[in-house]
Amino acid sequence: MGAIGALGQQRNFVSCPIVRDTKTVPCFLAEYEGETYFLGIQQDITSDFHPPQLKHEVLVEGRIAEGPRVCGGIPLQPVSISVLKEVNLACNTLLPAEPGMDAPPALRGPGPSSHRTDGGAGKTPRESLTGRQEFTLLYAFNDDYLEYAANQLVTEAAAYANRIGASNVKISGYRATSLLTNGDQLVEKAGLAEKRAQNIRMLLRGLGVSNAIVEWSNAAEPGDGQTDPSRRRVTIVVTP
Amino acid sequence: MRRLLLIVTLVFAIALILSAQYQDPFKITWIEPGSGATLPEFDAFDSNEGTLGVLNASGPVNTEGHPFFTALGTNGRACVNCHQPTYGMSLSTTGLLERWRNTDGKDPVFAAFDGSNCPGLPQDLEKSHSLLLKRGLFRIPLPWPPKNADGSPKPVEFTIEVVRDPTGCNTSAKYGLKSADPTISVYRRPRPAANLKYVISGGQPIVLKTGMLADVDPETGNPVSMNLMSDAREPSLKTQVLSAIMGHEQARVAPSSSQIQKIVEYESQVYVAQQAHIFGGPLAVAGGPPGLGVTALRDHRAGVLGDNDYDPVFGLFTTWKGNDYYRSSVARGADIFMFRQFWLRDAAHINSIGLGNPLKRTCATCHNAQMTGQDLSAGWVDVGTTNYPTWTESSTWAESSELPVFKITCSRDADPHPYLGRVIYTTDPGRALISGRCADVGSIVMQQLRGLAARAPYFANGSANTLREVVDFYDRRFDMKLTDQEKEDLINFLGAL
Repeated sequence: MGAIGALGQQRNFVSCPIVRDTKTVPCFLAEYEGETYFLGIQQDITSDFHPPQLKHEVLVEGRIAEGPRVCGGIPLQPVSISVLKEVNLACNTLLPAEPGMDAPPALRGPGPSSHRTDGGAGKTPRESLTGRQEFTLLYAFNDDYLEYAANQLVTEAAAYANRIGASNVKISGYRATSLLTNGDQLVEKAGLAEKRAQNIRMLLRGLGVSNAIVEWSNAAEPGDGQTDPSRRRVTIVVTP
Repeated sequence: MRRLLLIVTLVFAIALILSAQYQDPFKITWIEPGSGATLPEFDAFDSNEGTLGVLNASGPVNTEGHPFFTALGTNGRACVNCHQPTYGMSLSTTGLLERWRNTDGKDPVFAAFDGSNCPGLPQDLEKSHSLLLKRGLFRIPLPWPPKNADGSPKPVEFTIEVVRDPTGCNTSAKYGLKSADPTISVYRRPRPAANLKYVISGGQPIVLKTGMLADVDPETGNPVSMNLMSDAREPSLKTQVLSAIMGHEQARVAPSSSQIQKIVEYESQVYVAQQAHIFGGPLAVAGGPPGLGVTALRDHRAGVLGDNDYDPVFGLFTTWKGNDYYRSSVARGADIFMFRQFWLRDAAHINSIGLGNPLKRTCATCHNAQMTGQDLSAGWVDVGTTNYPTWTESSTWAESSELPVFKITCSRDADPHPYLGRVIYTTDPGRALISGRCADVGSIVMQQLRGLAARAPYFANGSANTLREVVDFYDRRFDMKLTDQEKEDLINFLGAL
């Protein structure tokens, strides 16, 4: 049970994901230096956790969390998952369900949903925002794909800017470095900060915000091995 | 022997009576442009599987001078040539073969431009139209590179080479990739011009699958569903009508706005669905599944997610469970569609959008829109119907294909196709021919699942001749491990839609 001694330690590594079937939704795992880590379970597109993909290596950046093993792996929480883009056919491990190897409860099982939608009633009403607001959009490593949560944030930022007739909307794009546990550094590709920022400008323009100022930093921000996922970002600052 | 003969005769007689309830067996069902016929509010057409219902929700349609039924271009075609009510507002190969024989290949549906494998081929020969006659495929010539609305070339992430060209069109000096007007010819089925309120519903400003802006309706500026056509290249029904008349009908003069409006109005009120099964009888019956038949399509709200267990995609089939053999089978098929879990793997724009690979789900995860089974979000997916994942550089010489095969090579700074990498062999790059994106190669917009029995073959490339072949494809592709009984149930279910 090496997890207890390592509680709270960061584990940043690249490896093939492992999928373990269960009676309900599958668990996603990854191995690093002979140990298995639990990353998360299959959920819905609206979830904060987006599982890795077989046929691809995954960059895992997570902290060893308290609690027993889940699906045979030490839980990492919080954990950031980045699917690396190039195809790797060696990443192809799908383990069968085993008695006693259960996934944590899932909001949605593998079948159709049983939850009636509330029509967005649970969301924070945009009217509650006032003053200068900063919206931070996070990205997976080396990626400019806007995941569901970030997509919602852009929509919210645009709605806010339009509602208050913002005097200034500034978009800032960044790329970053990930410091791995073994000391290696992974640097996001050149040009990505600009691409991220320009994509957001296009989205905002399509959503009615045409006066946004765009800037980006060509240099990749250095990694510290602790907070690296938070630097793969675009910020939108809306000023009344 | 006498008893067997009696049973066969009885079954045949019952089938005839059932079908006669819906259709006059002697009526001419192929509508020619300019025929001037009046289409009734409700019409019914027999196929081998039963009876297709066609509902004109706005009442009878006088086709006299109506632009949908009038040739507006130079090749004698009207919209109706390729969108025949008999065939679910699409076409079937059965109907096309019959039409070829009846007209000696002279019907405008066989126009050289896109009703033959390539315009340069001898048009009087049946083999020059083999893709249309055998697989129901029209030639779709698309510019390469793709163009923006202002005619400027779009940036693209890959190069494209023609490695097999059985039709001769892609290597033709006049029509091909190296012609003065570089063009890629792909071959696709016509989609049903019916139930369209469902097809165009659900537009969101940002496309979930790409994280990019959705196309907008040029008239209203509103985001569109991007579920029209195999590659979502046309944003609205109006732009689709214009492009079809200038292309498929080879018009030299654009149709008037009132003609376009009239066509859109007609298309928007037509509903098609299977109405009766050849042995199972009427499908839209009181107390039966609420989603079957054309009136259900007319009355239901569009843009509703059905990937749930309380109000599923095609409604609940509970009352048919334990009913007669056919209805019980349909109900079991509906359950398989909604609830049978399997591993969805390596499908670009499903597994690659944050859901994980593999994804343990059901058919309804992707076919999630109520009443049609399309995708409520922009629905292009690479399910594997067009790409050849096993082709390699060294094996191409030994492979064969009825369709052209293209080699796609993605640039180093682009994101590759998520499951096929940077070199892909494909018979149809699909959405990628419009977006220029490598990740879109082979992705085709999902089709609606209504009126299927009347319009074989299936998939955008006509690669499945029967619903059995559709089911077999999914069973193989996703290792669903369906039994023969389950396959029959799914086929009966799909055939009842």
